[in-house]
Amino acid sequence: MSGSAATLQSEFGASIAALSAALAASDEQRFYGELDALVQRREFALFGELRKLTRDLQDALERFRIDSRLVDMAEKEVPDARHRLDHVLKLTDEAAHRTMDLVEQSGPLAERTAQQAAEILPMWRRFRARTMALEEFQSMIARLDVFLDAARVDMGSVRNNLAEVLMAQGYQDLSGQIIRGVMKLVTELEQALAELVRLSKTHGETRRGLSDETRRGFGPAIPGINNGPSMSDQLDVDALLSGLGV
Amino acid sequence: MSKDMKFLVVDDFSTMRRIVKNLLNDLGYAHVTEADDGTTALPLLRSGDFHFLITDWNMPGMPGLELLKAVRADKRLAKMPVLMLTAEAKREQIIEAAQAGVNGYVIKPFTAVTLKEKIDKILDSHSNAA
Repeated sequence: MSGSAATLQSEFGASIAALSAALAASDEQRFYGELDALVQRREFALFGELRKLTRDLQDALERFRIDSRLVDMAEKEVPDARHRLDHVLKLTDEAAHRTMDLVEQSGPLAERTAQQAAEILPMWRRFRARTMALEEFQSMIARLDVFLDAARVDMGSVRNNLAEVLMAQGYQDLSGQIIRGVMKLVTELEQALAELVRLSKTHGETRRGLSDETRRGFGPAIPGINNGPSMSDQLDVDALLSGLGV
Repeated sequence: MSKDMKFLVVDDFSTMRRIVKNLLNDLGYAHVTEADDGTTALPLLRSGDFHFLITDWNMPGMPGLELLKAVRADKRLAKMPVLMLTAEAKREQIIEAAQAGVNGYVIKPFTAVTLKEKIDKILDSHSNAA
């Protein structure tokens, strides 16, 4: 007997034998009982196959859905996210420069006002102490005229510049909203990739040693993100280097 | 309109709330309260007595449009002046906000002058309607 014939024999042999015996004995009840049992077993096996096929189909559809979503993300949303982050860079860059421009304009004005007040102050004190000559008094009045006008104008500019500095901080709200949007995409990518890995049932070994990420670099330290231990300051770096003979 | 008016500023970004608060202070309005979402703003509006609502649109819990609708649906709050201050600038959005009863709409980035103009405009028509 061949292999499959032996399997059939072991699986159905007893039932067939029972069926034949029942038929030969004209035992209708027993015959139908055996027949029903046989049919039930067959149906059960078929449903098992169907369930497996359905699950395979679902997995395939799931993969297709994830794959096509990943394609969407790769072709449209990731490049879009890159543009959005580029824009964030631009916003923060412009806001920083704008603020520094305003600071650079305001510094000299405040400096000038303080300086001129400091120059006039000794004269004023002499006046208050009644030790001031008339000519000096007239000269002081003239200087005070100029100073008060200049201070009004200069401090007005400083006041306006400070208001502009305030407005420049609006970049944080706008760039924050953009970053939130990109974070959503990153989360979706993370979930899709995790799903894909699960469905593929790949068990790749994670490489030890210098990983891709270590090679590419982690960027500046961000509070709350732990990339593993880092050197705390230059002294630590110097100590490590000197230990290596550098 | 009195400078004693109580403003409620709603935005999920604290930096934006701070900017608007400073601007309002500069305009002479000393009573400015902050909320970080429509969900926290609504109970404040219902229990306090605010005269003016400035709100962002895009907020995680209850977006500004929903807050606006809730305000207009509440008998006590329905007539409150509401200014929307947001980066959302699509035509359909502005139309929807207008249909929901917003009194002013300022898009970000904005200037202090624009904010003042829109607030003054709302207060003028508000007192004329009274």
